[in-house]
Amino acid sequence: MAEEFEPKILAFCCHYCAYAAADLAGVMRLKYPPAIRIVEIPCSGRVEVGEILRAFEHGADGVMVAG
Amino acid sequence: MIIGEQKPLDEIMSLLGNARRVLVAGCGTCVTVCFAGGEKEAAILASALRMRSKLEGHPMEVDEITVQRQCEWEYIDPLADRLRDYDVVLSLACGIGVQAMNERFPETITLPGLNTTFLGLPEEHGVWEERCQACGDCILGITFGICPIARCSKQLLNGPCGGSQNGVCEVNKDIPCAWQLIWERAIQFNQEERLLEVQPPKNWARSRDGGPRKIVREDLRLGEGE
Repeated sequence: MAEEFEPKILAFCCHYCAYAAADLAGVMRLKYPPAIRIVEIPCSGRVEVGEILRAFEHGADGVMVAG
Repeated sequence: MIIGEQKPLDEIMSLLGNARRVLVAGCGTCVTVCFAGGEKEAAILASALRMRSKLEGHPMEVDEITVQRQCEWEYIDPLADRLRDYDVVLSLACGIGVQAMNERFPETITLPGLNTTFLGLPEEHGVWEERCQACGDCILGITFGICPIARCSKQLLNGPCGGSQNGVCEVNKDIPCAWQLIWERAIQFNQEERLLEVQPPKNWARSRDGGPRKIVREDLRLGEGE
């Protein structure tokens, strides 16, 4: 049987909200798929189109910008 | 400034043909300010080309570089050594930059990644409008600072025409009537009589009708060996 597709998601998370939420998720022992990779950024407004494209180029199936 | 617009990716891919090593060359002046061909846009296009060519099964090696101005020799000369590594340069400069690259580096083909559209200004963030056609014989001094050559759809020297309705051009409702604007300025300065003087036909020989133009300033030229 073929392996189930598990998308690799890169999450750009704002230091002040989304990253803190991810941190809190950890503290609360909540689980999220290991294929989600978090990049902490000072502000979601910092994310450029080029960075999102670079993530896709390097194999991400999806990019999330959270802030 | 010069306003440009990036060509569709399909057209760029077709221009690039079988090229395997491509250098995307951005320009740091006009096309950076109009978000068409600066450092950021060069990086985005390079990334898009890498992904697109990979998806099509023949990946390209695409790098990017941005110089301050592609329309001056001293800014592009340092690229000479680097160009040897590429089959093709895809320039995101205006048509002047593309031609400068081809002229300076005749052994390398430089292709255009932009359509150079007009001389204009950002009316608001994200909106650019034409303001000048570089006609070579400026008449802004008699039209109260509003150019009918660039902004009147009919390039009238004596206007408005009968197609001007409520300050809007008949060609398109998004085009303000340049002559309405000129008259409003004349009224503002109580100088309407200046517009009643009929303007004779313009000398288009100083524009493109006289062929490609050239300015030579002997006082600025460097003699041999200088």
